Amino acid sequence: MKKYKKLSLGQILLMLILGAVTLTMIIPMLNILARSLSSPEASVNMGGLEILPRDFDLINYRIVFNHPALMSAFWNSIIVTIVGTAINIILTTTAAYVLTRPNLMFKRAIMIFLIFMMLFEPGLVPEYLIVQKLGLMGSKWSVILVTAVNVYYLIIMMRYFEEIPASIFEAATLDGAGHLRMLFSIVFPLSKAGMATITMFYAVLRWNEYFRASIYLIKAKDTLLQVVLRQFVVLGDTASIVGQQNLFNYNDLARIDYTALKGATIIVAIIPVLLLYPIVLKYYAKDVMGGGIKE
Amino acid sequence: MSIVMKTAKKGEPPKIKLNLSQVWTRLRTDMILYLILAPTIAYFVIFRLLPIIGMRLAFYNYSARGQWTFVGWKYFEMIFKTSAFTDILSNTLIISFMKFVLLFPFFVLFAILLNELRIAGFRKYVQVVSYLPHFLSWVVIAGIWIAALSPSSGAVNQILGIFNLPSIDFMTDKTAIRWILMFSEAWRSIGWDSIFYFTAIIAIPPSLFEAAEIDGANRMNIIRYIILPALVTPMITMFILNLGFFLNAGFDQVLNFSNDAVLSAVDILDTYIYRIGIQNAQYSLSTAVSLIKGVVGVFLVLLTHLISKKITGKGVW
Repeated sequence: MKKYKKLSLGQILLMLILGAVTLTMIIPMLNILARSLSSPEASVNMGGLEILPRDFDLINYRIVFNHPALMSAFWNSIIVTIVGTAINIILTTTAAYVLTRPNLMFKRAIMIFLIFMMLFEPGLVPEYLIVQKLGLMGSKWSVILVTAVNVYYLIIMMRYFEEIPASIFEAATLDGAGHLRMLFSIVFPLSKAGMATITMFYAVLRWNEYFRASIYLIKAKDTLLQVVLRQFVVLGDTASIVGQQNLFNYNDLARIDYTALKGATIIVAIIPVLLLYPIVLKYYAKDVMGGGIKE
Repeated sequence: MSIVMKTAKKGEPPKIKLNLSQVWTRLRTDMILYLILAPTIAYFVIFRLLPIIGMRLAFYNYSARGQWTFVGWKYFEMIFKTSAFTDILSNTLIISFMKFVLLFPFFVLFAILLNELRIAGFRKYVQVVSYLPHFLSWVVIAGIWIAALSPSSGAVNQILGIFNLPSIDFMTDKTAIRWILMFSEAWRSIGWDSIFYFTAIIAIPPSLFEAAEIDGANRMNIIRYIILPALVTPMITMFILNLGFFLNAGFDQVLNFSNDAVLSAVDILDTYIYRIGIQNAQYSLSTAVSLIKGVVGVFLVLLTHLISKKITGKGVW
């Protein structure tokens, strides 16, 4: 196909339209970043379209990173994300491996069971009662275990595993390789893109988890960052974040601009996602991001 | 949603009839495989199947210690007698309609425009930026939107101010809030969900475009006669897929965008289930609503699966 190199009127129009769409995404985020990096005295007067900090100051981040409640929630989120994603990956890959073995008995029945489990959502209350009955209430295991396997991701993983040629497995069987060795020395190395994609998807889900954390992790010390973020930013509950006594303890807090502090908290919650994002682009979106049109 | 589409079945191994002793040998050799699978099955049984069985609570009075007492259809009658349920159902359907029906042409349009953009660097920039919001939590998105819509310091009201328009407190405005839900959904998904259509466009054989250009077709003709026809199947698939999720309407989003001032306009089935079930501890009533939603939901998915198979030859899974 012919490449259009010249900057025609149509191309300029397209750039303007698509550029405008991206600006609606970028400006609000940069505005929050700019506010959070400004001194409170300057940020209170900032408008919504400003994307550069005024009077650069790290005070908001100093408060966030020194705040006991925010930091404990931050580390809890890190732990839940790491342990949770590890469990997700172990269960999803092993199950996908088993379910892609040819001639496995009851494979169809198991798949029907899994798809039904995916389609029929159990009610919130019955799930809540099970968590309670298992004694997981208030434990990080509640949040980690309740979402241990995602059927969609399991099926995607299976598609990746199915692409491995059967002859490789046959050769390995002849060499006397058991299932576990097969999994570690053939399946994993040969489906790196799939593993990376699924890991990223799970990790993002884990990091963004807030609803179940808000109902199962009842004590403030166990809670996750997204829950605190919601309380502070969405519900505007500043008192719970900045307790009365804290106001006297910190000099910083006395002169704070809450909008900017909320912004800093949002940025801290976005950063891990930004760190994972390039991997998603590299592995999952690579087909559509090849630059030009495929010839 | 695009995930589901990748699950079209590959050729199943041919069926072999086995006698009982062969079944036994196969089971024994496969034993290790079942052991490897066991933790996953255990997860689904404990955290998905047991709660589903637990949904019988809808027909019982809850008791933390003693026996549950059977009450029949009491809670269902209660649901249908209250006017609250009709309001919630209509909110759910309206919000789903706005998100799935009104919005989806824009996702298609976005994919087409992106494909028309020839400047590779700029196209990549658009992709990198527009796919990102899909990975942000609704808590974060709500935080960003509340800031951007703020009547005092938000970008939107500042722009309204430039045109001498009065500022609006969008987040507490009952008529505005549903549009906010729709636009924030677009903001989050326009890039990521358009990948589905974009993939269909780049899969069109280049020879078709070349032939059209030789025949003197301009870009508009090409979009009208080559690209749009290629998008019909994906559009139908996506459309009926969404129909299967019509009763969901986006719990995480609604929960984070709602507040007391606008609750009556955005209260959907899932927020209602949460509020009466967890916050008010009316376990049986909440479970009854879940059960209605679950059954209708499965029915809708199966229905769309059949329709999809009939129209596009491809099922939902």
